[in-house]
Amino acid sequence: MAQLQVTDLHVDFGGLRAVDGLSFNVNEGEILCLLGPNGAGKSTTLDLICGKTQPTSGSIRFEGTDISQLLEFRRARLGIGRKFQVPSVYKELTVAENLSVARSRSPGIWHALTRFSLSDGRVAAPILERVGLEARASEIAGNLSHGETQWLEIAMLIAQDSRLILMDEPTAGMTIQETARTAEIFRSLSTSHTLIVVEHDMSFVRTVADRIVVMNRGAMLAEGTIEEIETNDDVKTAYLGH
Amino acid sequence: MTTKLFYDLFALAVFAVVIVVGVPFLMGFDGFELNTFARYLALGIVSLALALSWGSAGLLNLGQAATFGMGSYAMAMHLKLKASGDALPDFMGWNNVPELPLIWIPFHSLGFTLLAGLLVPAFVGGLIAMFMFRARIAGVFVAIITLAFLVAFQLVVIEQQGITGGQNGLTGLAPLSLLGWSVDTYDVSFYYLVAGCLMAAITVGLYLTHSKFGLILRAIREDADRTRFFGYNVANYQTVIFCISAALAGWAGMLYTLVLEFASPTYMSVSFSLAIVIWCAVGGRDSVIAAAIGAIIVNLLEGRLSDVFVEGWNLMLGVIFVLVVMFIPRGLHGLIGDLWKALNNQSHKQRANEAEPKLQPQPVKSGQEK
Repeated sequence: MAQLQVTDLHVDFGGLRAVDGLSFNVNEGEILCLLGPNGAGKSTTLDLICGKTQPTSGSIRFEGTDISQLLEFRRARLGIGRKFQVPSVYKELTVAENLSVARSRSPGIWHALTRFSLSDGRVAAPILERVGLEARASEIAGNLSHGETQWLEIAMLIAQDSRLILMDEPTAGMTIQETARTAEIFRSLSTSHTLIVVEHDMSFVRTVADRIVVMNRGAMLAEGTIEEIETNDDVKTAYLGH
Repeated sequence: MTTKLFYDLFALAVFAVVIVVGVPFLMGFDGFELNTFARYLALGIVSLALALSWGSAGLLNLGQAATFGMGSYAMAMHLKLKASGDALPDFMGWNNVPELPLIWIPFHSLGFTLLAGLLVPAFVGGLIAMFMFRARIAGVFVAIITLAFLVAFQLVVIEQQGITGGQNGLTGLAPLSLLGWSVDTYDVSFYYLVAGCLMAAITVGLYLTHSKFGLILRAIREDADRTRFFGYNVANYQTVIFCISAALAGWAGMLYTLVLEFASPTYMSVSFSLAIVIWCAVGGRDSVIAAAIGAIIVNLLEGRLSDVFVEGWNLMLGVIFVLVVMFIPRGLHGLIGDLWKALNNQSHKQRANEAEPKLQPQPVKSGQEK
């Protein structure tokens, strides 16, 4: 059975159908890339899965549980993590503190009350090393460059260790080298995590994607491997407008 | 950070020495002077309580005076019963209350009183917090709702004259006896009782801010939504810090009644509640120690200046608040931090300038080192 099952999902924003009858499945350990022109509903789809937006109708099942009516923090506890399009790290906290917040295996108050704020240091160090921020651990996150902020948020998702990670344009603003490194990290993540990635950088998609879903006007246009998508006539029409 | 913990513990140690040794010495161990200072210390506790909810979690509670008042009335009820002996408290007679109201009966017990002074404010604060934060109310609306509660609560207290003593409050109180020790509020030992309570409250506050709980609160303050996506139940965190803050305010209220030997509905007035905000802002809401010091400094000034400028003092307090908000939004604590950083940078620059000429003859070598 697929880890995530999205069935006939609809959402209306005051008359605008942002997502219109979308259905797809994601299997465990898979990297699924969501493609589509601007306004196709890719980010909204991620919002619906993580609980930022409530669907008008349709169902989202994660590991067999219907999560479409759950509050976002309950979905996070079930094992769904999210990286936003605009990097959203805590700018007033240090890099290490950001990771400590993200490390939320026990999000309860009692656990938090009986731990010091940086009690997860042993977990944090190797993760920071992995994204190359080990020297910046005690830096205030607001002082990081744009690229470093992207890395920090990726590091936070690794620390959160969700089984399903939703990534919204993770390589935006990265250099070619940084993008390549991100691809490497994503590949190594997929051994123990499932990833849904919204991305425009086709070379990145080509490197990481196991499968691709192309969206247009809130619905699925095509689905398949990169070769199948690149030769699909509907996709060409949607992108080029013929 | 560990350096931050070290810095806070160092500040606590210095503060403790000043309060425990410095102040009594300066006042010549004079009981009357120290009683006045004990009042400032009690107010320091309510200010640091606000720093926990406002500074750590970003929840501006304008109703802090209500929970402070609950503590102060709890203590006053106990002491009033003690002063009245077996008879009905005098004001109840004037209000034609035939017998002791049910709500007063358990206050015969000191243990119950101390618990009630902490738990009743915590319960009420928690109830309001639950309604607000489950509905994800944030920002200025928290301030408005808590302020509205304060106004309503004070009205009820004044209205229920037969139970609360109305506008007059509770006066003619007996001295507290604590484990066989009759507390004389004009004795040095009483000053040390209040000082000890303040130190304990600061320790609680420091523990909370340095725990992961405090870290999550800061994360919530900065971006509550993001924190939810990490699986934290933001409403619960906010409710718990509101409860703790209310309990500390109740604690301060109990001490305040002991110092002044009466409880009055003015403790629950809007102006008193806003004054707490000002103390906290002047000291610096990011630090519980700074918030307590803010309360002490402003009240010390008030003690000295309000005799000279009877009418003008409130205006001056308002001006101080506006100036602080405009020019040092992080209070004296932030100002000192900025000055410290500026001094450090200055000395770094100076060292760099001094070092430059020495480096110049061998630029190649310094390049190789890299």
